Amino acid sequence: MRILALVAKRLFWFVPTAAGLIAVVFFISRVIPSDPVALIAGETASRAQIEVLRTKLGLDRPLPVQLVDYYRQLLKGDLGTSLFTTRPVADDLFARLPATIELTVAAMLIAVSIGIPLGVISATRRNSGIDHGLRIASVAGLAIASFWLALILQLLFSMKLGVLPLQGRIAGFPPRAVTGFMTIDALIAGRADRFWSALAHLALPAITLAVPALATIVRFTRAGVLDTLGRPFVDYQRATGIPRALIVWKYVLRNALTSTVTQIGLLFGILLAGAVVIETVFQWPGIGTYAFEAILHSDYAAVMGFTVYAGGIFMLVNLLVDVVHGLIDPRGGTA
Amino acid sequence: MPILRLRGTTAVARRLVLAGFASLALLGSLGQTATAQTRFVFANESDFDTMDPHVAFDVGRIAVRLNVYDGLMRWQSNPAKLEPWIAESYAISKDGLTYTFKLRKGVKFHDGSEVKAADFVYSLERILALGKGAASLFKTMIDPGKAKAVDDTTVEFTLTKPSAIFLAIVPEIHVVNTTLVKKNEVNNDWGAAWMSKSSAGSGAYKLTQFDPAIGFVAARNPDHFKGWGPKFIDEIEFRGVKDTNTRVLGLMKGDFNGLGGYLQADQLKRIEESGKAKVHEAESMRVMMMQFNTTRAPLNDPDVRRALNQAFDYDGFNKNILGGQVERNPTPLPNTIWGNPKDIKGYAFDIEKGKALLAKASAKIDRPLEIHFLTGFGQSEQAAQLFQNGLQKMGIQSKVIGTPWPTIVERFSKPETTPDISIYWISTYYADPHNWIGEMFHSSGAGTFKNAHHYKNPKVDALLDKAVEATDQAVRAKYYEEAVRIVVDDAPGLWIYNTKWYGPYSKNLAGVVFCPIGNGLEMRTAYYE
Amino acid sequence: MKSVPTTLRQLMRDRSAALGFFLVVLVVVAAILAPWISPHPEAVWDMNPANRLKPPSRTWLFGTDRMGADIFSRVLFGARITLMIALVAVGASLLIGVPIGLWAGWSEWWIGEALMRVSDVFLAVPQIVLAIAIAQTLGPSIENVILALSVTYWPWFARLVYAEVRALKRETFIEAAIALGVPPRRIVLQHVLPNVASPIIVRASIGMGFTILTAASLGFLGLGAPPPAPEWGRMISESREFLPETWWYALAPGVAIFIVVMGFNLLGDGLRDVLDPRLRRSHDR
Repeated sequence: MRILALVAKRLFWFVPTAAGLIAVVFFISRVIPSDPVALIAGETASRAQIEVLRTKLGLDRPLPVQLVDYYRQLLKGDLGTSLFTTRPVADDLFARLPATIELTVAAMLIAVSIGIPLGVISATRRNSGIDHGLRIASVAGLAIASFWLALILQLLFSMKLGVLPLQGRIAGFPPRAVTGFMTIDALIAGRADRFWSALAHLALPAITLAVPALATIVRFTRAGVLDTLGRPFVDYQRATGIPRALIVWKYVLRNALTSTVTQIGLLFGILLAGAVVIETVFQWPGIGTYAFEAILHSDYAAVMGFTVYAGGIFMLVNLLVDVVHGLIDPRGGTA
Repeated sequence: MPILRLRGTTAVARRLVLAGFASLALLGSLGQTATAQTRFVFANESDFDTMDPHVAFDVGRIAVRLNVYDGLMRWQSNPAKLEPWIAESYAISKDGLTYTFKLRKGVKFHDGSEVKAADFVYSLERILALGKGAASLFKTMIDPGKAKAVDDTTVEFTLTKPSAIFLAIVPEIHVVNTTLVKKNEVNNDWGAAWMSKSSAGSGAYKLTQFDPAIGFVAARNPDHFKGWGPKFIDEIEFRGVKDTNTRVLGLMKGDFNGLGGYLQADQLKRIEESGKAKVHEAESMRVMMMQFNTTRAPLNDPDVRRALNQAFDYDGFNKNILGGQVERNPTPLPNTIWGNPKDIKGYAFDIEKGKALLAKASAKIDRPLEIHFLTGFGQSEQAAQLFQNGLQKMGIQSKVIGTPWPTIVERFSKPETTPDISIYWISTYYADPHNWIGEMFHSSGAGTFKNAHHYKNPKVDALLDKAVEATDQAVRAKYYEEAVRIVVDDAPGLWIYNTKWYGPYSKNLAGVVFCPIGNGLEMRTAYYE
Repeated sequence: MKSVPTTLRQLMRDRSAALGFFLVVLVVVAAILAPWISPHPEAVWDMNPANRLKPPSRTWLFGTDRMGADIFSRVLFGARITLMIALVAVGASLLIGVPIGLWAGWSEWWIGEALMRVSDVFLAVPQIVLAIAIAQTLGPSIENVILALSVTYWPWFARLVYAEVRALKRETFIEAAIALGVPPRRIVLQHVLPNVASPIIVRASIGMGFTILTAASLGFLGLGAPPPAPEWGRMISESREFLPETWWYALAPGVAIFIVVMGFNLLGDGLRDVLDPRLRRSHDR
């Protein structure tokens, strides 16, 4: 019941928080002292020509009126039209979503598949050389500026060794979009070369994003496992003669991953909503690059659309994480 | 189905066929795909967000207009000459108001229908109605409804006032297939939504694929009215690749056959040394400059402005930072265009002389000057830093601020918001002095992207007006020369260099013709040796 | 809350915390002494294009940048900017977040609750997203970076303090104080605040590292301190167009960021162990 109450409370606040976020970003994006209308009108447009276009686009009305209009549009599922691509923002975001999801999933796959085992090893060999090394490494993983790591990886693997591509998602035009996931689409098209190209393009950005996530997962897994190892049932199982490896990898791990799962969820949310810098460095054609370009160009509708998307995803993930956390760990629950 | 037939043939024949495939594969390793078709892949420095030829009037997206579309006239070769294209001939009435173009017969759109005079009328109307790209320039000289199809092969434009530059921008009336565009209109949008991702042209290449996140592909149009040489490229692909390093590495690896953007000297060196590509070189017209806001103290004082002109390390910038790949350009007009007096030496880097000028100036500098560079353009940032350094040596404090292009254009619109000093380039939109000095210093143009000076000088205004109204180039040149002399002495800006064009292309690519308008992106004449 | 000397002594016993402390001190000292220890103090503003992009040598320890300035000296001076941005931003976030958290947590008044809802709005997107939007809006300058970071970081402190205060209110000694009629102001300042100080300090130390990374990201995207300020993130972004030849250009500022963030993170972890036994249980057993 506590969980239901929690979910109800979160859902109740979902709408006003989202509305607040939209308002905040709306006003931020509109005070930018630049004029996208002037840019669209063409470089040699006169002031009068620009004003005509401004009226046509509805950007001459008072801000609160524009905001209310925006809410109304939003309720109809309309995110407006991008000033630059002249396409509906929802379409643009939707077209770029698979790229971001593909990158996020790849990064999290790397982080989880390496992070959890390392966390367990670190905990079971507590205070050994490996443990100390892993602990330092996990602090370090969180201390590296990700854009710098990206640059160093590019320098090594793309520029010096020439084994991985520097940027982008695939060499040349992509295979026919079926799922939007380049790797899967390449397989569907039956093109092994395209698949490898897509995978190679995915490698560096995914590794870059995986590093801090990996560090977080190692830390939380280690703490969780240590915590569980100290519980009575472990001593009991050990007394009954169950092999230690089995105890650790089966019984302990299941109980120890509560906080790790929470972290994985949060990391997913952060990557889906805010991998702006890394996507930009790798020119990864996902939502992050779209957002950065939209902000640089003061593309109002696109900036707002991105905020709605990022806020929505992030809040949703947080909610899910809370629910999952409540379900698997009945002790916790500070709302 | 040659593969199937292969089964019944002898081993020798099989080996022969395999050898054929092997030589094809060898060709592929030279930078072409393993098909018999020749492909050309160009890495452009900016994205192709739209395919519509009537909404863009810039160099970054010119590849679409030059390859997929045609106009009445076209700028060709270097120095740029205006040549009849779909027009066979043209005539200008005595009063300079009516332009009559006679069209070639038998020019066909990609769908096979004939290009007619009415299509040009529709195209101009469309430009004016959409209000983007070149529309603002056209609007200063022609009103909607003033283009007329006299018959199928004669089109007539009547201007509101005589203009020496109308002809210079006629190439921007890219002809579109009226029937096709009208078929795809939504809510009277002149087909804008459809045209942003499709094409309705007559050009040398037909659009086959477009993705705003990647670029476009176009296939050769064998029926193009200009005809083709014995060798040509079957398919061209233009990709937006914003990162310089990706472009350079891609060319060196053979993924790209040509690169856009202005590369730094060391990158060009890298490309040459790789042996995979060669760098074509040509005189061009793109002037890097600083524009001073002349309406505010202390920059309203010509002596202060002259002093500032002595504070920039021209040689340090052109020779060290840019590795000598550019030439000093001491006036607002490119060195290479007519109308520019050849004897002007311009200002030199001289701190002491600058200090002396400041001492006799009536305005005193009592605040830090704001130097704005364009965010994302390393060169303009480095110029700003170097200038700040020179100013400091002269005893002038300054702030260096990066501003994105849309923001700075907005700030130019009013004298109060225009930065003290803005650093950027004016490229060739049409090869006429008016493109630079006319739009930069005539008081009527104050506040546009080309004019952040807000400069007002009745003498200069009068000279520039006369230069546009006159039709004889020798007469016009005299007016421009006089205007340049006045402007340089008055120093409302600081002029740094005129760029050379460096076009890195695959080693075996030939037939590329450079033109300052288009930067060697018209692929009609290119082929692999 | 323990006394400062005790805390320090305990910190020094933990090797990784001691390392963190050492790294932070190192960077602070470098920042303070930058004008005296840098071999080319004029490198912060003076340019010499003829010397540009020189590899590391005895004259230029870390090489030179695209304007011909000494990268070593610029990295040293950059420490000042980095620490200043992080200190002021975290300080401002503390000044905004802590009182709001205390107030909202203690008084059950709706305005307090409303403020917490406002903080939720800011927590509803990753910090970097809002910070980019704000920094871009205000234009690139050190002050605006600080503003963007403070505006987006205070909710973390408000949230933390709020939760701690709500928990404390249920503690016996606080309930006793309320029953005894001690004025609320005195309870909050004398009993509540000292008890939430430890998590605040821990959060602030981790927050320093986090804020430095975000500030560097803004600098990298061109939204940070303008030139000629030797801001580390922007130095890295400048280096991009000269890679791979001038690897040293990107190396030094990146390592500098790593050192200072590593220092604050290790220190934060150590402080958590010493100051906050509750958290210690789950993080360092």
